Order: sequence, then structure tokens, then C-alpha cells
Amino acid sequence: MSQPRPRRAAVTGIGVVAPNGTSTETFWKSTQEGISVLDRITREGCEHLPLRVAGEVRNFDPPSAVEERYLVQTDRFTHFAMAAADLALDDARLSRAETDEAPFSVGVVTAAGSGGGEFGQRELQQLWGKGSRFVGPYQSIAWFYAASTGQISIRRGFKGPCGVVASDEAGGLDALAHAARAVRRGTDVMVAGATEAPLAPYSMVCQLGYEELSTVDDPARAYRPFTAAACGFVPAEGGAMLVVEAESSARERGAPVRATLAGHAATFTGASRWTQSREGLAEAIRVALREAGCAPEEIDVVFADALGVPEADRAEALAITDALGAHGGRVPVTAPKTGVGRGYGAAPVLDVAAAVLAMEHGLIPPTPNVFDVCHDLDLVTARARAAELRTALVLSRGLMGSNSALVLRLGAGDAS
Amino acid sequence: MSDRITVEELAELMKKAAGVTVSPEELRRRDDVGFDALGIDSLGLLGIVGELENRYGTPMPPDAEKSKSPRQFLDLVNSALLAGA
Repeated sequence: MSQPRPRRAAVTGIGVVAPNGTSTETFWKSTQEGISVLDRITREGCEHLPLRVAGEVRNFDPPSAVEERYLVQTDRFTHFAMAAADLALDDARLSRAETDEAPFSVGVVTAAGSGGGEFGQRELQQLWGKGSRFVGPYQSIAWFYAASTGQISIRRGFKGPCGVVASDEAGGLDALAHAARAVRRGTDVMVAGATEAPLAPYSMVCQLGYEELSTVDDPARAYRPFTAAACGFVPAEGGAMLVVEAESSARERGAPVRATLAGHAATFTGASRWTQSREGLAEAIRVALREAGCAPEEIDVVFADALGVPEADRAEALAITDALGAHGGRVPVTAPKTGVGRGYGAAPVLDVAAAVLAMEHGLIPPTPNVFDVCHDLDLVTARARAAELRTALVLSRGLMGSNSALVLRLGAGDAS
Repeated sequence: MSDRITVEELAELMKKAAGVTVSPEELRRRDDVGFDALGIDSLGLLGIVGELENRYGTPMPPDAEKSKSPRQFLDLVNSALLAGA
């Protein structure tokens, strides 16, 4: 008896709600043009805080994206997630009627770094301002890391395996890997990704303790990784959801396979121990390559973590060379997140979306605001670079010590 | 504020606490329809009960949040308000 062929996990849909675009099309256009949308934070109640620059999602109207009954019971990070999930499912041409026919074959997995801070702040103000009887019951679920997974599955009627990954910023990649494993184990479709909404007063105060945070108030200078002027990172809100689907299921329904999730690995090296992250990130890359059956020379582009802290940038540049050998100094590296900020768990998912789009368009998007790279990396700056891209490597590290690497292969496109 | 909770007030609370828009006329016409069919889950109903308790300054009967329909809910809370008056 022959062994059944392993089920490969394919990306068949991309949904983006990001500071530089609330549709996948505008996100890609801004990303490949290298437009920076970092700007002074305008959110009410944040004006007096020492964190000045971030990537805000300004062109998102929650009531036009999500029904009111879901809006009242959820935080902004879940509004982003529900909207991005809709966009991804539309992109994958998976209609409500189709998923209703087989609800157990669709699951959801998200990553979350901070949960629903804005909703939580409002209810805590009720608690201390008026008393416990004035705290709304939806506080019990809206702040929670798991809220977006739960609400997406309830709203769309999905009954397949669901989960939440809380593993720091790198959790965005880990959630996609979790989805790929669910697909390999037999679930046809996983809606997977991450969105965050950390730009509200309470959430911002929580971040002020991060020594890696940039408090520079000039948007063009606040986030410049891999340069001598690196002064930390700027946060962002928004994120992306993907449809991760069994390649066989996509072929059956004639949906284009845009990329496959070929390999992933995660390691842990401790909070803010950036020198040690070199070893952890290199190991994650090696194991992800092994799982993908991919030689270092096959990597055509690297989407870097690009924290913007000199010690961390150095560790990442060395990790790429440690894991890829001489190819590490030659392979084009990019960090489009310097134009939108780091949306914690959502940041690497946006990078995966950008990596799939980059492979499809044969174009490596540049790293906005970054010039004069001071590491031994071929960082793509100023403008996009045309290249034949078949395999991409996406890297992510979290402030609490998680490191992840994900290998993507360009899909065969339309089955027809 | 009247001493009875009206269909109008319930409709307003359903929108405020649970984000569900139903006109008072429709609520009156379909007063036996279940909260679940209207899109109000248990936490939404709990929020409506909490709002009423704050407005009227009195606890609602413990079974209020288990009511299945607007009709059942209004009967229960109004009889409690009358008994307390």
C-alpha cells in the first residue's frame, strides 16, 4: 500500500488592514513604492505621551466592515481581524455558502500580543469611575487574546479546529505554522494571521517600559534599522489574515495556489537578550530550511525582523550569514515594515503577505527611511528591485525572546 | 422615566448593550421571538439587565437574564418593579 502524499499547506487568500492600505491592493502598491506612512500619533488621549510616532490605520471604518452587534462586543484589534478575515476569504473565493456546506472543515488560528487594550481601558474607567455595576459583560471576552479567533469563527460559522498563539511578536509566524499543521492533519481550510491595536492610551503606557521603543518624534528618523542611526522601533496597528488551505482542496475548487508554507521553526533566547538572539534566529532558519527541504542558496529574498536596535540588528545580520553561509551576504534582504511600523504579532504576517505578493510580482519592495546600511547585508533600499523570486524567508523576533523563521515557496498559480 | 419598562426602552437597550437594532413596533409585533433569533446572546442580555439595574437603582430578578424572549423578559422585570414599588 502506498503512503498517502503529505498534504501541503497553501496560501490561497490574503486580507490586509494595514497603516499603508486597508485592502491588499493598496497595501502592495504602497509597499512596493516604498511609501512611509509613519506619522505623529493622533489618537485621542495619547498627545502627552513620550511615544510620538507610529503606524496608525486611518482609513478603516469599522461600521462599514463589521455588523454592529459584533462591533459592540469587540475591541479594535478584533474589528481589524474580522475585516481582514473577510478580505482573505473573498480573495480565496470562499463564499459563506461554500463554507456553510462544510463548517467543520474550516478553522481559525490567530496570534495576539496584547489583546483588546482600548476596550479594556474603557471598562476599567467605568469600574474605577462609577463602580463594578457599570462594567459591561463583554469586557469578559473583548480584552482577551483569544477574542479574534472566537469572533471570526462565530461570525462566519466555522466549526473546525481553532486556536490562539500567544508567543510574542514571532507568534504571527507561529500562528501560520499552526495553521499549516492543522491542514496537514486533515483540515481543509484555516483562516490564520494576526492583528493588533496597541495605539490607545493604556496600551501605549504599557509599551513605554520597552527600552527598544523609539521615542524620536521625527517620522522619517524614528525607525531606521541596520543603520548607525538606529534608535529603536515604532509600533503599529492593523495586520493581516490569510487563508491557509490544503493544496489539494484548492486544486479541487480551482482556486489559485499563491504560495506554500514550506518550513517553519521557532526558538527562544530570552527577553531583550539580543546578542543571544543571533544563535536562536540562526537555529530557527536552519530548522525551517530543513523542514522545507531547501538549500540556503535557494532563498531568493529575506524579509528581516529589523528591530532597529544596534545590538539586535547586528545579531540578525550575523544570524542570516550563520544560517545561509556565503549566500547570506549576497541574498537581497528587505524590511518594508520601516514604512508602517511594527504591529507586534501582526508585523510578520504583513511580511508574509508582502513576501507572497513580492514573489507573484517578481519585485522586492524596499526598506523606507533606511539609507547607509552599516551591516554586511544587501538591504534593498530606496526603490523596489526586480528579481525572479521562487522562495522567500521571513524572520521575526519578539521583545520577550521568541525567534521564528518561515520559508515560503511561490505557488504554481492557477490550476487551470 | 416611567415605572414600567416599555418596549421602546428595551429596544433602545438592545441597541446600546448588544448592538442589535429592532424597532419597538417590530418588537411589539414579534414579542415571542427569541433573543437568540434577534442576535442577542447571554452576555448581551446580561448587559441589558445591568443597564436597567443602574437606571432604576434596584436589582432585577435573578431569572431576568435567563429570559428567552422580550415578552417573557418584560413580564418578569415589570412584575418585579411593580412588586418593589
